[in-house]
Amino acid sequence: MLILRDYIISAASDINAGGGGNGFNPTNLGLTDFSLVATTLDTNNAYKFMSGIEGMDRFGTGPVRSAYFMLSSTELQSDFDQLGASGGISFISQWNYPTNASALPSEYGSVANIRILTSSEAPVARNAVANALGVLNDLYYNTVLGKQAITHINQDGYSMNLIYRDPYYSGMLAQNATLAVKFAQAQAITQDTAIRNVLSTRLSNLGV
Amino acid sequence: MTEYSRMAKGNYVVSGGTLGVSAPNVKVINLPFKPDFVELINYTQAATPANHGIPFAWWDASVPPLLISGVNYDTVVDVNTSGTANNTDMVKVGGGISVFSGGLSQQFGPAIQVVSIAKSTSPTIITLAAGHGLSVGDTIVLRGLFQSSTTGMPQINGIPFTITAVTATTVSINWDSSGSNYTALTGSPVSAFLYKVLFPFLYLPEDNVISAITLGNSTTIQTTMYHNFEIGQEVAFRIPNAWGTVQLNSLPNVIIPGSPVYGYVTSITDNWTFVVNINSSAFTAYTDNIAVASVPGLTFPQVLSVGDVNSGGNVSGLTSTTLYPPPQFPTSTNRVGTINGPAIRGAFVNNTSQGFIIGNAASRVDASSWVGGSNGDVMEWRAYYHDLSIP
Repeated sequence: MLILRDYIISAASDINAGGGGNGFNPTNLGLTDFSLVATTLDTNNAYKFMSGIEGMDRFGTGPVRSAYFMLSSTELQSDFDQLGASGGISFISQWNYPTNASALPSEYGSVANIRILTSSEAPVARNAVANALGVLNDLYYNTVLGKQAITHINQDGYSMNLIYRDPYYSGMLAQNATLAVKFAQAQAITQDTAIRNVLSTRLSNLGV
Repeated sequence: MTEYSRMAKGNYVVSGGTLGVSAPNVKVINLPFKPDFVELINYTQAATPANHGIPFAWWDASVPPLLISGVNYDTVVDVNTSGTANNTDMVKVGGGISVFSGGLSQQFGPAIQVVSIAKSTSPTIITLAAGHGLSVGDTIVLRGLFQSSTTGMPQINGIPFTITAVTATTVSINWDSSGSNYTALTGSPVSAFLYKVLFPFLYLPEDNVISAITLGNSTTIQTTMYHNFEIGQEVAFRIPNAWGTVQLNSLPNVIIPGSPVYGYVTSITDNWTFVVNINSSAFTAYTDNIAVASVPGLTFPQVLSVGDVNSGGNVSGLTSTTLYPPPQFPTSTNRVGTINGPAIRGAFVNNTSQGFIIGNAASRVDASSWVGGSNGDVMEWRAYYHDLSIP
């Protein structure tokens, strides 16, 4: 996962968030950033991952649009919670979906045509951005992708081997076991127009 | 005690540097492990001792660096001084033998204060304090380039630049900062810092920022970082409206709807410059004269590799190794092979690596001696990773 993560932030093109109001470049994520990147992928004929969820007669829920996935840091969850509503779009917590049947375990919610998956392993560049006063902010890479955007290729006819050798075979004193994963893999962006890294800062430093 | 230990050795001929006069080039040794002990034998200096020569050197990860006059030293050297008399000396941390592990992105060096930046056509020259330790080929990122809240050069905050030239107190980058919206930085602004990207090219060719476009029957592109393209590489452009030449963008295509517009690299001028087969004679001129007020949310003009001829598959005719010739980068000058084998055509090169570096800092006492030797010296290295180290 980390290989693909670093590969994507190296090789895919970027959009700097501008919809937030914190004054950094990029800004924190605003509703218009979600709308812009979804529009970009739509214009580029990217395939969405998920079909929409129809509205139901349940208190506090709302319909969810068909969507691309955005891979974000868990540290941005407080920013997502503070997104209001504008122009008919707003943040919908996963808990407020009409049904959670299609929600993934790491899914935090959705905005416009994007469903947000969060992970503590999402890429962050610490203190990479500063304003005129010298106040620092972290830089987050939020990858938005369509279905056909990336792939990885397993080489040499074998996929991934999980290797375990118990202590008896790992050393004559039988003190240490060996546990490893071995694979030969290449990464490729199969459709460059169907993927964007949305770079953003955070609304406020929560000390995370 | 051989369950996890690793041992490796090798030798090479030193490149660059003159004995007692100038430092050699930094030498990177890629290994399948990160050693905790390294020793060097300079066969040339051992055989023909000369003033300022260093025949032997050692580095141990387990020994804490020694703090002398505010500077930490960790590489022990034997140095020939006063003719051929042999003395011991040390080299500062990071300037002698050091290890590295380039497997994850977003690893940065310490922040370095920017003293000043004068407005200039490309290259723009950044003034730092002496002893910045940066070299041509290092990739840096700038942050907080404000002279005031509304002036300065914040337009280039966050852009990765591969340094094109250095002096003792300056580094040069590919950027035209002569526009009316740029203001010179002076007096070490409180927010203005530079930091080095430790492993900028883990996956190649990378998404890159454009610093100049020359229009014509073919189109010449200059990038801020090493582009790492090979001739034949298919490329796409992402140029927001503010930068002018939006006609290069791969989409939308007004002639064949839904079909991205791509170009091919037809020649490579240098590590930062290449030519694509797109006739841009009638396109809008490129500009980087962006208003400071427009900086929040400003997306940079980019070029990226697409298609099935990414450099990962381009391995023929290059320097061979024991097993097979690896891809080499950058693609124009000072090429260095990756440790990873040829990738599938259409894939990208995985350039992750680890090992140790022989730096180019001078010794502490004899500041005219360098652990890396001098041009033409035969250097043997031995690297170890031990099962047991106390502590």
